[in-house]
Amino acid sequence: MTIWWLLVLIGLIIFIGFCFIYIVINLKPSSHTKQELNDETINGSIDNIFNDEFREELRNRGRLHFEKIITENAVFLQQDLQLTTSQLNDYMKTEITQKLQNEFTKYQESFTDAKQLTVEAIQKTNDAINEQRETLNLEVQKQIEVEKKQLIDRFENNMASIVNHYVLEAIGNQIDLNDQLEYILTELEANKKAMIEDITSGT
Amino acid sequence: MVHNLKNSLVLPLSIITPIDIGRIIREVEDLKIYVEQVNLRKEDLKMPKFSRLLDNLVELNNLKLNNKSNLDDLLVNINNIKLKSPVVHVSFSVDPSVLFLERITAWFRQEIHPTLLLTIGLQPTIGAGLIVRTNNKYFDFSLRQQLVLARKNFVKIIEAV
Repeated sequence: MTIWWLLVLIGLIIFIGFCFIYIVINLKPSSHTKQELNDETINGSIDNIFNDEFREELRNRGRLHFEKIITENAVFLQQDLQLTTSQLNDYMKTEITQKLQNEFTKYQESFTDAKQLTVEAIQKTNDAINEQRETLNLEVQKQIEVEKKQLIDRFENNMASIVNHYVLEAIGNQIDLNDQLEYILTELEANKKAMIEDITSGT
Repeated sequence: MVHNLKNSLVLPLSIITPIDIGRIIREVEDLKIYVEQVNLRKEDLKMPKFSRLLDNLVELNNLKLNNKSNLDDLLVNINNIKLKSPVVHVSFSVDPSVLFLERITAWFRQEIHPTLLLTIGLQPTIGAGLIVRTNNKYFDFSLRQQLVLARKNFVKIIEAV
């Protein structure tokens, strides 16, 4: 019994729902038609008010206003552009000048450093050359002294031989043996003992 | 003086070098052969003409060379001289004359040894004086040696000039 009542209740609810949906669907076209009627009325009024002449006048006004606004904006834009250009120029000028100044400063510093290095290198080279020259001078002086001493020694050693040779060549054949006899006998007498000892030794 | 030889001959000053002794020996040997041959043939002995060296030797020592025994004694003595007499080499700057050599030889035989023999050399580079070379020693009495010894004084003199 309860199930039957439950089914009847569910069927009743479904029926009521269908009825509500039907009513809603059937009521909407009637409101839409009223709105359309109002729109048409309004459109007709608007067409009467906004005729072609009025529209042309509004269009002209709008064109003029638009041109005015465009012109003003163009002026503002031009001014802004000029100002921006001027500021940009100043900025670029300042930046470029600063950059160039920095670069020139760096270049000058580099140039100064290179110059300093070059001067130091030249100074070192000069010092080395001077030192080398002094060493060379000392060495040359030493060699000259050695050479001079050798020449003097050689001269002294050979001078006696040369003079001896010259004297012997000059007077050797001029001295008669008979003139030398006294000298020879004197020398033999002076060395007689040594000769006798050597001869009697028997070796 | 030194005397080593028994019955030694007295050498004349004309006999100076071992070469002279060799010539004497050959001449005496030839003479000995000649005497022997004459004796064998029993002929009269006619003595040949001697060389100047042998003639001086015979004359100085009063030798009789007409028999074999005397010749044998002479040969023995001369060979002894050749073998045992000291030999001294002397060099001169020029070729010495015979008279000069005889004076030098006389000094050596009077002061050193009576039968001393000399060999003569020639060294023109010594200039003057002589060089004596005995068995083990060398005596330079030349002008060259005197100049060399005086070299230091010579250099000083040159530097002073």
